[in-house]
Order: sequence, then structure tokens, then C-alpha cells
Amino acid sequence: MQKDVIVATEISREFHRADRQLVQALARVSFAVERGQFVCIVGPSGCGKSTLLQLIAGLLLPSGGTMAVNGAPVTGPGSDRGMVFQKDSVFPWLRVIRNVEYGLKCRGVDKAERQRIASLYLERVGLSHVAWAWPRELSGGMLKRVAVATVFANGADVLLLDEPFGAVDYVTKRLLHDVLLTLWSEAESGARRTVVFVTHDVDEALILADRILVMNGGRLVDDLAVEAPRPRTTDSLLKAEMVRHKHVLLTHLGLETRAPAAAGPALRVAP
Amino acid sequence: MSSLEQADEGRRTPALAPRRAAMPGWPLLGRAIARRVDVLGLLGIVLFIVLWQLLTYVIPRFSLPTPRDVAQRVAEDFVLADYLVAYGLPATGLFDSMLYTTTNVLIAVAIGGAVGTVFGLITARFELARAILDPVTMTAGTVPILVLAPFFLIWFGIGRVSSVLLVVIYVAVILYIYAQRAADNLDPVYEDAAYTLGASPRRAVWDVLIPGTVPQILGGIRIALAGAWGLEAIAELLGSQHGIGKIVQVLAGSTDILGIFAALLVLGVVAVLFDALAALLFSRLAAWSVAARTSGE
Repeated sequence: MQKDVIVATEISREFHRADRQLVQALARVSFAVERGQFVCIVGPSGCGKSTLLQLIAGLLLPSGGTMAVNGAPVTGPGSDRGMVFQKDSVFPWLRVIRNVEYGLKCRGVDKAERQRIASLYLERVGLSHVAWAWPRELSGGMLKRVAVATVFANGADVLLLDEPFGAVDYVTKRLLHDVLLTLWSEAESGARRTVVFVTHDVDEALILADRILVMNGGRLVDDLAVEAPRPRTTDSLLKAEMVRHKHVLLTHLGLETRAPAAAGPALRVAP
Repeated sequence: MSSLEQADEGRRTPALAPRRAAMPGWPLLGRAIARRVDVLGLLGIVLFIVLWQLLTYVIPRFSLPTPRDVAQRVAEDFVLADYLVAYGLPATGLFDSMLYTTTNVLIAVAIGGAVGTVFGLITARFELARAILDPVTMTAGTVPILVLAPFFLIWFGIGRVSSVLLVVIYVAVILYIYAQRAADNLDPVYEDAAYTLGASPRRAVWDVLIPGTVPQILGGIRIALAGAWGLEAIAELLGSQHGIGKIVQVLAGSTDILGIFAALLVLGVVAVLFDALAALLFSRLAAWSVAARTSGE
């Protein structure tokens, strides 16, 4: 089994804006993600982090460079890469449990089996009691949990999350982190799934990630390893290593002027 | 996990339980009908009849017959209207004529609805098809359907084909626009989500595009159906040997106001009944949508 699940080589992506101006969303981005790693991508809005995620998902194709997942180049979306979107993507025309089953249905899993799996994951995100409700009857945080359950139930070994909890209140967000980390750490087949999580929330990244990729202006500008033990608590965020990381991240986001060098050596990935 | 359950506890009881109880199911069909024909609706009908009756005191009887006379005339002409034979027409009544008109309307709405929906959805997803079809359809939409009637009568002769085709064009244009707009408005995130879960393009159409646009398409069908009755009647009026429109045309020739009122009453009642039936059926088909919920409660 290969060590690296996602390998991006010199990825570029341009867009034509409505006014016909060419926008460089990503410029020669290269990185590799190891199997089982929880990677957060952090950067200011418009830095290309969502574009990068869509390229891994195959919803966009690169203008230059190659994106490979599990050794095969990405040519389009597939069930090996599950995605939780920023917007609500739970189908409003299917009851909650039918939503969670949907990926399994696409792959031809028989009805009893997919209902068993869907029930299991609904239970694990704490939503058994609304299995037969319509999505419109659920709160925003509950819908996010349905989306997470749907992606995990589908068994993809690469999970892509695009600012999934950005619109969720603080308490719900903290609970959703626990759900996500629990599902991630107790993978059914033994091996942990690989997670790429896009966020603009520095604390969220520090709580969740093994590794934080920092983006700015379409380039990868830093790559931090977060080695703090899990489970991480409020106290974890106060440890010297975490505070150092936070200073680095805030500097990258332009909120602090202290040079990243003073807080520790920053790895320059792209020129 | 338990903290999550607790977080929901507050919302579950007040928000979810009562809404779930209100969710209509097939066993509640009877209740749904009862809710539709509610007290206020009946009050409106009573008010209308009273107003009509009052107007008959002001307007001469030969211009505006009383509700009672019209009802009586409907009863008389229902099975067999003897005056039709005098005009050399087959011996039928309001019932048979309305059956003919209704059949034509339903055929036209079915064909026009299917054609319009299919092309509306296709053009919403394929730029090339849209570029080709949009101008043609929009032009067809601006041509008054009645202007087409003479051509249709020449091309297809007097009979069912001409009138049905006229209504088909009208329904198809409406549904084309409705289906296209519904697909345009469907958030692309749903199709993206389906693809990342492993859906094939075929599945994305059947499981996402169609269910996601159904509420608006059904709304379009209702609008088209409402217009189709009048159009079919006019098409029959211009050239047909059958139908409620033909009866109106014959009676207009002899200024039989009472007879015309009787025919129009039958047409109106049938149109309203079918609209109510469609509304009920559609609220079942799109039970998930917010629109269906608010109209059902």
C-alpha cells in the first residue's frame, strides 16, 4: 500500500471571470498527503483552498500539473473521495436515512444492508431519532451531521470537507468536531481514513489537524506539523507548541506582524 | 454522543414532534380533502351566488339569468340537449360534450407537459441545445395561440387533432419555461454531492435533477391546466363538431344566454375540480418541499 494517498504535482488552475479577466486561483501547488493523516488547509478567503479541494474531488480539473489519488490521476468525481460541502447538500426530497443510504444505493448495495449501515452511522452522529424526518425539519447543525454520516457511510477512504462547520454556532461546532474525530479514529477496516479539511478558523485547525497547510494567493506558503496528543482540549491550545503554531498561522493570515521566523522555522513550499 | 443527544433535546420536543404529527400520509387523504374544502371556501361560494342573485335584480333577466335558472338548465341539458339536433349536430348533452373537452385537455396537458418538461430540462443543462431552442420557443410563446388556429384547421382539418395541438403548444411553452427555470435554480451542490457519492450521470438526472425540479414543474402544470380549459373551448368554438365550446358557439348563434351560462358553469366546475385534484395529487408528489407543507396545513 502506498504511503501517500493524495499527490498534487505543480497544480495550477485558472478561471475566466465574467469580465473575461484571467484569474490565477492556484499557481504550481505541490504536496502529498499520507494515508490516515488529518490535514487542514488554512488561508484567507480567496486564497484558492476551496479550489484545491474541488480539484482533489474531481469537480474541477487542473489547468496544469497533475492530481493523483491512490496512484491514479483524478479525471472526475468518484465515490473513493467523499465530500462535505460548505453549503447544505443533503437532498431535501429524501428522508434523512435515505440520504445517508444514497451513496450505497449508487454502488448497488442491497436494501437491507444499506439501511443497516445508514442506521449505524446515524446513530454514531446522534441522529437516530430523526432517521425518517424530512431534512427541512432539521436544524443547520443536524444537517451537517447528516452530511458527515452520508460521507462516512459511503466508505470513501479520502474525505474532503470544505469549511463544513463555517455556518454553525460555536457549541454545535465543538460537538461536530468530536463527532468527526470519533468517526475518523475508529475506522471500520482498521486503517484510518485520510481527511482534508478546509477552514479559515485557526483554532479549528489546531484542534483537528495532524498537519496544517497554509495557503495564500493561490500558493502553498507553509506546512506545519501539529504533534500535540489527542484528544485535544482547551488546555492543549495553551501549550507552547500550539501557541507558536497559532502565531505562525495568524501571521500568515495577516493578523500579526511578527515574522514567522521568530516563532519557528517556516517551510517555504512554493517560491 | 450523549452530549449531542442532549443538545437536541430542547428542539426535539417542541419543534419536531408536532410537525411530524402534521405530516400527511395516504390514510390522511380524507382529512386533506376536508381541509381543502374548508368553511371559508364554502363561504366564498355562497357569497358569490348571493351577489349573482342580487345582480339579477338590477340587470335584465335576458342578459343575466338567475343562479336557479342556470342550475335548472344544466339539469335539463345534462344528458341530452334537444336543441343540438335542430342545428344538425349529433344528439348529445352537456355531460358528453364536457367529457370530450376534458379528454382533449388531459391529452394535451399530458403531451405538452412531457415535451415541454423534457426540453426545458435538457436546455437547462446543455448550452448548445439552449442556444438553438430558446429563440424558437420564446417566439412560439409570443404568437397568440388563436392566430395559429386557422392554420391548424387548414392543415389538420376540423376535429380533435387541431384543438389538441393548439393546447399542446400552449402547455409545452409554459412547461419549457418552468422546467428550465427550475433546473437553473436547483443549487449545483446537489448534483456535485451526488457525483461525489458515486452517482452516474443517469442517476444524477433521475435522483437529483428531476426530484429537485418537480415542485416547480408541477406548479407549471397547474398553471397550464388552468389556461388549457379556456383555450380548448375556444379552439372548439372556432372549428369542431363536439365539445363544450361547440355548444357555446351554437347557442351564441341563437342568443340563448341561459344555455351559454349553463355550459360555462359546467366548464367552470369541472376546471375547478381538476385543479383541486391536481393540487392534492401534487402536494403528495412533492411532500418534502416547504411549499407543499404550507399549502397542506
